[in-house]
Amino acid sequence: MSVTLARVEPSIAGVGDYIELMKPRVMSLVVFTALVGLVVAPGHVHPVIGFAALLCIAVGAGAAGALNMWYDADIDARMARTAGRPIPRGRVTPGEAAGFGMTLAVFSVVALGLLVNWIAAALLAFTICFYVVIYTIWLKRSTPQNIVIGGAAGALPPIIGWAAATGSIAIEPVVLFLIIFFWTPPHFWALSLYRTEDYIRAGVPMLPVVAGAAETRRQILFYTLLLAPLGATPWFLGYASPLYGMVALAAGAVMIALALRVCAERQGHAASKQMFAFSILYLFLLFAMLLVDRMSGGLGGQLLGHFAV
Amino acid sequence: MKAISGTMDEFTRQTMSEPRLDGGIKLTEQQLRARRARSIAIALALGAFVIVIFAVTIVRLGSAVLTRPM
Repeated sequence: MSVTLARVEPSIAGVGDYIELMKPRVMSLVVFTALVGLVVAPGHVHPVIGFAALLCIAVGAGAAGALNMWYDADIDARMARTAGRPIPRGRVTPGEAAGFGMTLAVFSVVALGLLVNWIAAALLAFTICFYVVIYTIWLKRSTPQNIVIGGAAGALPPIIGWAAATGSIAIEPVVLFLIIFFWTPPHFWALSLYRTEDYIRAGVPMLPVVAGAAETRRQILFYTLLLAPLGATPWFLGYASPLYGMVALAAGAVMIALALRVCAERQGHAASKQMFAFSILYLFLLFAMLLVDRMSGGLGGQLLGHFAV
Repeated sequence: MKAISGTMDEFTRQTMSEPRLDGGIKLTEQQLRARRARSIAIALALGAFVIVIFAVTIVRLGSAVLTRPM
């Protein structure tokens, strides 16, 4: 028996390639929503502990991104949107990405546990496992419900942030989780409507590929109708100011209007593109308002009350 | 014994980054630059990690960090 050892070329991967593996744009959204979970939690968190928690969550999100790129390298190579990622471009080998992702995953979870608390660390570990194993390895290639269920991974950061601050879980961060959870399908399906060819080429069973554009448009409207009132729930539950409530309801109304336009669209993808772009602004607006609310000690509500009188 | 020491020499030669005289892998300029950049990034990340651990230790323990049973 002879064993042939493959000759591996020395790596040419630069620092930028490894940063790209961590999906910095997704990471920034994760950090932002986790920050809101951390800030709206009751009590005071020392800034250094808060910073350490966010750093660990950011690295954990980066680890999940790298592991996703490792497993999805074959799909990425066939899609225009992802063909320029480090593995399809030949800058980083799949093995390097897997090693990098695993190292960061273990490091971030253990560091979060030791520096902050083990509830937050367990939630971070669950999030990484859910994103990589349940979403990337299992659901993404097997069901059009991939992003609905897989969206749970992207929705967990506010709960991790809250747990980092309090060491427990409560209804407030669960509502934030639900907002992101119900926001994910309209957001991604709007994108997939004008990237359908890409998904067909890659063999990913996204909803427009499997059920057609008309059904996808209906589903977008259905989830947006659930999302709009849910977005204002923090105000209904009393932990956000009326100003937040007004902004959430107004932004929700715009989302519904855009979803209706997507439903009515028969030619071109202008409405889908608008929906995709506005959905990012919608989520950012809601979480930024929660942050402003908390930072200003409910100033928004006080101002609104002042004008009402 | 000689065979083992020969194997160890081979192992050392393969794993250390000394220049090879027998026509083995020679890094190109681009590979060298990339490796240097990665090494600097790892050093900076480890330095930042040390600072974070130090800061959290001080915050968590405060002046008690100096107190230890004699």
